[in-house]
Amino acid sequence: MQKQIDGRPMRLMVIDDEPTVGRRLKQVLSKSGFDVEVFTSPVAAVKRMAEEPFDIVVTDFRMKEMNGMQVLERIRELSPRTKVIIITGYARIETATEAFRAGGFDFIAKPFRLDELRRSIFRAARALEADSSP
Amino acid sequence: MVSFLARLKKMVAGAGRGTAAGDGMSPVRQKFDQFKEVLRCNNRALEIIADMGVKLSGDYVFDRHYAETSFEAISDAVLKSVHALNALCENCYRDLYGVYDDITARLLRVVEQREDREGPVTLMLEEVTRDYGIIAGGKNSHLGQIAHDLRLPVPEGFVITTRAYHDVIDFNDLRDLVTRFEALIADIETPEEAIDGPREELRQRTLEMRPPPGLMSEIGSRLQRLRAAFGDDLRLAVRSSAREEDMDFSFAGQFETVLAVAADGDSVFDAYRRVVASLFCPHAVRYRRTVLPGEGQVAMAVGCQRMIDAAASGILYTEYPSDPEADAILIVANWGQGEAIARGEVPTDAFTVARTPEFEIRDRQIAEKTRGLYPAGEGGLAYRPIAEDDRRRPCLQDEQVRELAHMALRLENYFKHPQDVEWALSDDGRLYILQSRRLVLQNRKPQEKSLPDLLEKYEVISRERGKVAQMGIGAGPVSIIRGYEELDRIPEGAVLVSTRDMPRFALVMDRVSAVVTEVGTRVSHMATICREFGVPCLVNVEGILERVKEGMEITVDAEDRCIYKGRVTELLAYRDSESLNVFESPAFRLLRRILNMVTPLNLVDPLLEEFSLDRCRSYHDILRYVHEKAVQEMVKLGHDERQLLKNHLKRDLDLPIPTGIIVIDIGGGLRPEAPPDRVGFTDITSIPLKAVLEGMLFPDVWHRESMNVGFRDMVTSIVNAPADSLSGQYSGHNIAIVTGEYVNLSLRFGYHFNILDAFCGEVTRDNHLYFRFVGGATDISKRSRRARLIAEILEAFDLHVQTRGDVVTGRLGGLARRDMEHTLNILGRLIGFTRQLDVCMDSDEVVSRYVEAFLNGDYGIVRADLG
Repeated sequence: MQKQIDGRPMRLMVIDDEPTVGRRLKQVLSKSGFDVEVFTSPVAAVKRMAEEPFDIVVTDFRMKEMNGMQVLERIRELSPRTKVIIITGYARIETATEAFRAGGFDFIAKPFRLDELRRSIFRAARALEADSSP
Repeated sequence: MVSFLARLKKMVAGAGRGTAAGDGMSPVRQKFDQFKEVLRCNNRALEIIADMGVKLSGDYVFDRHYAETSFEAISDAVLKSVHALNALCENCYRDLYGVYDDITARLLRVVEQREDREGPVTLMLEEVTRDYGIIAGGKNSHLGQIAHDLRLPVPEGFVITTRAYHDVIDFNDLRDLVTRFEALIADIETPEEAIDGPREELRQRTLEMRPPPGLMSEIGSRLQRLRAAFGDDLRLAVRSSAREEDMDFSFAGQFETVLAVAADGDSVFDAYRRVVASLFCPHAVRYRRTVLPGEGQVAMAVGCQRMIDAAASGILYTEYPSDPEADAILIVANWGQGEAIARGEVPTDAFTVARTPEFEIRDRQIAEKTRGLYPAGEGGLAYRPIAEDDRRRPCLQDEQVRELAHMALRLENYFKHPQDVEWALSDDGRLYILQSRRLVLQNRKPQEKSLPDLLEKYEVISRERGKVAQMGIGAGPVSIIRGYEELDRIPEGAVLVSTRDMPRFALVMDRVSAVVTEVGTRVSHMATICREFGVPCLVNVEGILERVKEGMEITVDAEDRCIYKGRVTELLAYRDSESLNVFESPAFRLLRRILNMVTPLNLVDPLLEEFSLDRCRSYHDILRYVHEKAVQEMVKLGHDERQLLKNHLKRDLDLPIPTGIIVIDIGGGLRPEAPPDRVGFTDITSIPLKAVLEGMLFPDVWHRESMNVGFRDMVTSIVNAPADSLSGQYSGHNIAIVTGEYVNLSLRFGYHFNILDAFCGEVTRDNHLYFRFVGGATDISKRSRRARLIAEILEAFDLHVQTRGDVVTGRLGGLARRDMEHTLNILGRLIGFTRQLDVCMDSDEVVSRYVEAFLNGDYGIVRADLG
């Protein structure tokens, strides 16, 4: 079933400077019923976010222009209700703690199973639904 | 990285020596402990390999860092296994270190991305197997596979490898310039203007390159071979085959192709330079940076193929471009060479063909074909008018259309994706495949509903059952496979459904669209092969055999672990919708290349001649070799009976049947309270011994009647007493050396001598079974009949079997405990059943009758026959 919130499809943004990762995630998540947009440039992603907010953002941590923490901070400013999930191949406890402190929804270490990410996204979707119901 | 090997060796040095058990322990017990150490090390290594393999299933997201650390972990683990074997066998396998070092050095080159600088400078096309994928380039490697694996006709030719490219670059002092250029394009922030200068300089200088010593004579001898076969007038097509071309990205039309090249060294090298220089054309560089951002390394292999004197040529799409759901193939054709069609310069005939095996031609559009491209005098191609009579005549006859459609579907089933095929029909009426690449269709209709909503109308056969061995989506008619012999009849594009996975499924991976099994693991040999071929695969799908029928069309969605009835076109369209192969991130490719040298198993059957050190080409081979040699060491455990009986507590085994077995427990094979002199069946805690004895005690198996041995049989039994190397020192006692999970059984019953060595515990990978039967008595024809009987029965229970004279050896490994116990039980029955059988082996018919009786559980047949 298509994932909906407030009567519209749930919007999901994927940011990873490795284009194949983004394409892969887009393919899988669209199939799960989300409306997905993919960005290889975090700067372009943040710009897009300013135009139109997304419900859930999945972002890589190590990127050239801007790291995952900076992306998280910018998104929190632009849209505090958006759930941000950070993925990284260089997982350290400190980074994870820092991400949670800064308001990140989840932190996933590579290699991860697509199903793990999907579950995390579903949890984020449920949290959003809970937020929006009075 | 270079010091990595040295570091590893230092780290594990002496580890082998340290594993020997302490003082006071019996040598047999020490051996067993060392054997267990081999199993432990092998398991650790196999777990790492399995873990790496599972990451390739498409179910994971990872990066380069993971691929590199996995390599370090697996190298370390395999080295420890080699040490453990040498500790067990007192350093008899020192040569394994050399094999290990070679494989590790090759892997290092992969990790450091240097492997394209190794190997031969040229290769004949038919020599290009998957192993040469890197140095032959993507396109050539595809052609090699088409010729080699599918045996479809491909124009003959040779490849100038990436190794030659690097040699040429070095010889012409272009390395520094290339390195600078690579660094520039690797940085995604470098603007195009900054690249233009070095790029253009490289392009100019590659056009003027001179050949390094040796290359021209290599090319010369390849050309000579082709000229000898096809005459001096032979013309060649010289084409690019960059590393990633056709493999992951099409690179279609990005590089130069030089046609109608004369078959002499100078002309070929001149064409070679032009093709290499096209690596540095502005549009090719732009394309590369778009599809491979951040990747700088550039190298090119070049293919030189015989140009077919094409009566007609064309292009084929295995999916109909304007309507992918039409289930049809599109073939377009014109007279002469196909370049004119690729350039869109000529009208073409168009055939629409059904994708079903009859290949019904649904539609024919015959164009007015006024001109075609043909080789011109000066080299190159030129248009010629088409004779009046031929203009409205179809380029292909119906039979040829169908043949081409069949070839194309085989290509699609092999490459697991719709294909875009270039083909040619030679003057003498033969069809050739010139190229086959992933078909990318951009103009799909946007779907109004989301995919999950669209799928609701399909009947679900199985949902969220089983485990994903390989991601992906595949559809086709069900083909239920119950035994190896049925593999031959699997149709193209079928979905293979089976109770369990079998390594021999590898034989049909080139034609199945998906695999589903009722039991199985994601780390089996078959799962690895599914990943290699990209065959979607679900294992452990409970009850699937009850829900599908032979020939029923189903769609397997391994991504969501869902199996649908019918052909779900929406899912297939979704599968094919990506222009890129999304599994192909740089990290993914690196891990796959590492695994390509780690997982392939060349040493499959330990009973075959080729199970030898010089055939060890992968880490997996080493591990298999280590395990086999360790088992062989254990088989010899009961060899020196006198020492064995002297050094250990021996207890007589009391059973309702007179076996005369003496039990030697070296740890956990008997109940702790078991009496010190005589033990009964209930005292046995050794899993494998218990299973064998249960088989021997099975009703009717142990026939008490002694056979009537004729005088001749008696004489030959004395002359032909078993005397092979293994049985030499056995003095005739029946001995079982046991632990909780192990048995080494030597049994002499009547005129037969059996050795059974088995490990049977909870860890499937540890389990092995070695069974050896040596016979005596009777004449040679009866003995060989008996050997055949045993071999046939063992094979029926999936053992690898070797028969040499009247010695039959059976091997089996990697079975789960329950299956092992079952097989051991069967072996127990077989030992009892065949105890004195050979004297009955009067004719060949008897063999089949007894095999059948045994397989039907009719063990009483022996008593009845003797009765």
